Amino acid sequence: MRSLPTQDYRRSDYRVPTRPFTGLDAVVNRYIGAYRSRAAVAAGLLKESESIIQLEREYRDLTNAELQRRLIEFREHFRRGGRQVPAYVGPALAAIREAADRQLGLRAFPVQIMGALALHRGLLAEMATGEGKTLTAGLAAVLAGWSRRPCHVITVNDYLVERDATWLETFFHFCGVRVGRVVGSAPPPERVKGYECDVTYVTSKELLADFLRDRLHLGRLQDPTRRLIRHLLQPQTAARSPLVLRGLHTAIVDEADSVLIDEAVTPLIISASHKNETLRNAAGFACEMVRALEPGVHYQINHRYKEVELTEAGQGTLVEQVQKLPGLWQGPERRLELVIQALVAREFFHRDKQYILDNGKVVIVDEFTGRPMPQRTWQAGMHQAIEAKEGIEISDPSETIARLSFQRFFRCFHKLSGMSGTAREAAGELWQSYGLAVITIPPNRPCARQHWPDRYFATEPAKWEAIAAEARRIHALGRPILIGTRSIAASERLGALLAADGLEPRVLNAARLKDEASTIALAGDPGRITIATNMAGRGTDIKLGDGVAAAGGLHVMASERHESGRIDRQLFGRSGRQGDPGSAQAFVSVEDELIQRYLPGPVRRTLAGAWQRDSAWKERFLAWGCDYAQKKAQNSARKQRNTVLRSDLWMDQALSFAGADTI
Amino acid sequence: MAAPSRTFSESWYRVANQKVCLRSVVRVRRQYFRGERWFVLENPFSNQFFRLRPEAYEFVARLHPELTVEAVWQQCLARFPDTAPSQEAVIQMLSQLYHANLLQYDLAADSAQLFERYQKRRQRELGFRFLNIMFMRFPLLDPDRFLVATLPVVGRLISPVGAILWLLMIGLGLDQIFNHFSELRIQGEGLLATGNLPLLYLGLVVVKTFHELGHAYFCRRFGGEVHVLGVMLMIFTPMPYVDATSSWSFRKRWQRVLVGAAGMIVELFIAAVAACVWTHTGPGVTHQLAYNIMVVASVSTLIFNLNPLMRFDGYYILSDLLEIPNLNQRAVFQIRHLFERYVFKVEHSESPATTPSEGHWLTAFGITSTIYRTIVFAGILLAVADRFLLFGIIMSVACLISWMVFPVVQFVKYLASSPRLDRVRNRAIGISVSALAGLIILLAVVPFPHSFSAPGVVAASQRLVLANATAGRVVALLAQPGQPVTAGQPLLQLDNPELTLQLADAQSRLNEANARYQQAMKEDSASLEPLIKLRSAAAQTIAKLQRDADHLILRAPFAGVWISPQINERVGAWLERGSDLGLLVNPSAYQFVASVREEDGHALFGHPLRDSGIRLNGSADTRLAAQDWRIIPGGQQVLPSAALGWAAGGDVPVANDNNNSQGDRTIEPFFEVRGTIVPAATVVLLDGRSGRARFWLEPEPLIPRWFRSLRQLLQKRYEI
Repeated sequence: MRSLPTQDYRRSDYRVPTRPFTGLDAVVNRYIGAYRSRAAVAAGLLKESESIIQLEREYRDLTNAELQRRLIEFREHFRRGGRQVPAYVGPALAAIREAADRQLGLRAFPVQIMGALALHRGLLAEMATGEGKTLTAGLAAVLAGWSRRPCHVITVNDYLVERDATWLETFFHFCGVRVGRVVGSAPPPERVKGYECDVTYVTSKELLADFLRDRLHLGRLQDPTRRLIRHLLQPQTAARSPLVLRGLHTAIVDEADSVLIDEAVTPLIISASHKNETLRNAAGFACEMVRALEPGVHYQINHRYKEVELTEAGQGTLVEQVQKLPGLWQGPERRLELVIQALVAREFFHRDKQYILDNGKVVIVDEFTGRPMPQRTWQAGMHQAIEAKEGIEISDPSETIARLSFQRFFRCFHKLSGMSGTAREAAGELWQSYGLAVITIPPNRPCARQHWPDRYFATEPAKWEAIAAEARRIHALGRPILIGTRSIAASERLGALLAADGLEPRVLNAARLKDEASTIALAGDPGRITIATNMAGRGTDIKLGDGVAAAGGLHVMASERHESGRIDRQLFGRSGRQGDPGSAQAFVSVEDELIQRYLPGPVRRTLAGAWQRDSAWKERFLAWGCDYAQKKAQNSARKQRNTVLRSDLWMDQALSFAGADTI
Repeated sequence: MAAPSRTFSESWYRVANQKVCLRSVVRVRRQYFRGERWFVLENPFSNQFFRLRPEAYEFVARLHPELTVEAVWQQCLARFPDTAPSQEAVIQMLSQLYHANLLQYDLAADSAQLFERYQKRRQRELGFRFLNIMFMRFPLLDPDRFLVATLPVVGRLISPVGAILWLLMIGLGLDQIFNHFSELRIQGEGLLATGNLPLLYLGLVVVKTFHELGHAYFCRRFGGEVHVLGVMLMIFTPMPYVDATSSWSFRKRWQRVLVGAAGMIVELFIAAVAACVWTHTGPGVTHQLAYNIMVVASVSTLIFNLNPLMRFDGYYILSDLLEIPNLNQRAVFQIRHLFERYVFKVEHSESPATTPSEGHWLTAFGITSTIYRTIVFAGILLAVADRFLLFGIIMSVACLISWMVFPVVQFVKYLASSPRLDRVRNRAIGISVSALAGLIILLAVVPFPHSFSAPGVVAASQRLVLANATAGRVVALLAQPGQPVTAGQPLLQLDNPELTLQLADAQSRLNEANARYQQAMKEDSASLEPLIKLRSAAAQTIAKLQRDADHLILRAPFAGVWISPQINERVGAWLERGSDLGLLVNPSAYQFVASVREEDGHALFGHPLRDSGIRLNGSADTRLAAQDWRIIPGGQQVLPSAALGWAAGGDVPVANDNNNSQGDRTIEPFFEVRGTIVPAATVVLLDGRSGRARFWLEPEPLIPRWFRSLRQLLQKRYEI
């Protein structure tokens, strides 16, 4: 197949993002954001969606064939584009709603229509969990897919990609929209097929990786105009385009907060492993060398900033042993770097917390989602240091070939929109980084979840005891329980604790991913106890079993407060979905990592003192400390994300002689 | 101990496959700074410089258009495993080289990005120009071709022969000046007279043009290019300048120093020539101009150009002598480092200095230049505001912004967002805020002892100008002038023959009246009345004359010292009545009469004047006490002694007009304050001795005081 030169132009089309605002511009921009997400916008959308609902009579009585014909008519309008398109959005949505009803058996609620409108307008719709976000995205995706411009529906994991794309397939087909999917395991031809479709379901990582690979293919001819000229001048070079994607235009991001915020902490990196014998040897030697070093004597640990620093004694030992290292690493700067890496690996990277061992390989566990990330490696040297520490075979360092931050990538869409259960907290950042204004979609049915007051403890053991006792109590009522933990180790420990009590908890964590779907499917059954690291259940619904609603619904227990309040809310949101009954409660102790890490030392000591003295206001103090620590943690996380974007931009400016990176 | 730069960088892929190298025009020179080897890269087109360590240069030198960065890096690793730069360092370095326009790369540059960079630079330059409004520069032309064309001639002077000539000329000039030193001083008093200013400025421009050409020729002589000649508005005075920065790449230190000193060398030469012209011409324009040039070329050169604390020639010379390039900036960094290290306790703060002695130099320069600059800038601000009214206020605002607001804003920004403070931000903010609060409390709340001084003179509390009540010829001095006398002691014997006659006449008239009265008593009583009158009138006349006669002996009315230096010469002379016969001063009690300026007047009233000390001129080491201060209410305009006024070398401004021949009428009214001096053994109190009295006021915080001073200044200068 010979492609037209202009087709190639389209295939690599994306919006060249503007620079983020700084200084006074940023201040003004913040106000614009606040204006764009004002309450009146949501009210207007609601009114509009109600008037769309009014149109249902027009389509209800049509036969399937007639309805389809009408849908195809709409498609033509959208395909042609132009100024009339906005006028067709209402009637088209009414028709799509009818189609969904017939194909999926779901009649979209006004709030879902409202959500679809918001997506169509490029807003971020905050919808509570279980409000039917998948369908909402589907409605909006049809509108976008009709235009034939690439539309990507982005979710957090492959499981959801498969599920949503499969579930909505008939519906899309009925509406005259081809739907495709791209998952991590798909080979390139399948990917091309997936992206060729009008609407493509994909995870953000896959999409960004494909985008980067496309850019790598293009090499020096990043600029489509230059490529076009070359093709026109030398037609023989116009071989079949190697591009996988067909450009970026519309993105509908499900779970926008985790995609756009939580996962944006690290940029996506495409890497290739690169033989480096000396580094591998050096990592091994360094690991041996530091074995003799003791904290406090040879080095100082700074927990807050996750750093170690060698003392004089440590330096001395280092100099004595330097002969062991390969020549390249004997220089004072290099050997220090190496040893410090080995120490950091020892002090701050723990198995089953930051990583797991899988078939003799170190696999990183994402701190936010709790999912294993087999593709990811730590920077050269650090990964090897950890491997050395674990005593497994040291791998070659992977060398970055291309990298791009999610912040910049998502700015490349002409139209970005998203949905999230918990976006309010991050509204400012979403606007500043992505130009997404957050509007809140009211729930279809009022939320019946009870939030029980948090419970406070002086020590961790006391807390775990109380959690176990509470689990037993709720279990006796016949209600299912979901307990969120922060680390794999904690989830296993709690599982053992409950099992010792004769309960049968099911543990869901990065180390036991295989039975995720079945565990979640059963988590709503009566008397079920599910322990999950904070990954669990994200983007997946726990449906209540028979009789559970009458018993009071799902009870969610947070064994610790997370660094981000959003993640807490997400966990709590697992219960009480779609107006079901449910309850949620958090357990906090003075010894929790959040408190230990983010509360300033003197405050922490005062707090501990208050608990020792059994002061009357100890609980209020701890509650305040918890909120404060959370705020601090969120701030520092936001700063870190900003740094990612800023260092990206800096690098671009600094190295613009090497060609604009990817954008 | 700083975190080592990482051997492997995640951004390495961006440069790894690039083929870059130094531009072909880039010149590389080896220089030694403080005994360390450096490589200086220079782009002669843009006059941009870049300094590299030898390790880094090993890498940069290997860059080749045919080799990828990765390949070069591997080469370096293989050859210098210990010292080869890390990937991070390479990226950093390439980026800097690129921004200094020293790098050649095979990709079409990102033109949008280049344009943006250009715009940013323009903006920065504009902002910089505004902020440096006192030293605004306008490049005008490129003198390089002219310099090259004339160098064969002029360049010959820049040689040992030229140096000898120069020394001879300077010697000659010095000789002339020493021989005519007194004339020099006399003429110097008229230097800043209004009429001389245009000539002075003319001289300045001529001299400075040669000065700049000196830099240019020296630079050119040693191979540096000079491409900019322009005008700098130095405090609104147009002055020429040249850009001789290409000398920075000279390998030899003495060449760099010579280029820096070239201006002064030329100026001193001109000064010497002008000195010869001046001594060999008579009064006239040439004479005056030569004088001006001589002064400007020597004094201004030595004061301004040699001073390393301002950023003129001396600064660059010092920088070269110390072998610390970028002295000023690095000094600022050093001060910041000290602050961060010892006040904010930033653990990883590193000094920009590589050796301890460099650190000491940087610290010393940083502190002195900051203080010096603050003083100079404050002076300029005041001077400008003083000279040009509206314009001056605008200028002052501009300067205030660039010298005060800007640094403060930068400091706040630094506190709020500098990554260097990331870990100690709370402490840094805490310390800064408490320092500020402490300062404000110190200034606004804590009362400070507070005094002002006023000039005045010593006056005896009992002093009398002696005068003779009766005219007469001085017959004899009965007491020695300058000696203590007792009350009533006769001082002077006058003789008045006429008075004696008058007395005799009056006596005879009395006698006659007496006789007629006796007669009338016998004969007729009707005419008795007039005779009684006549008799009493005669008696009165006698009494008066008798008194006058008594006054022929001048007596001291009180005990004291009779001061009459010239009275000896008047023995035998006739004195009209009321002649000045010197002063009788009572040495046991003296007063100090001080003239307090109106501005300080507010302090005089409302509360008692506190313990004050007086220091007399000539006995400044002894503090005299005084008591019973009395303020003469109401402003005065006549000084207690002309010695206090400008006209007689005092410091009170006095009117300079015909009505003030005495030189004691002040321009502004003042308050007179009198106090009784407690005598001290070591200080001889003499009537008329001048001195200063210091008045201690109620302690008061500084801010209200400054505010009042400012208000008074504005009121006085601008009548606001």
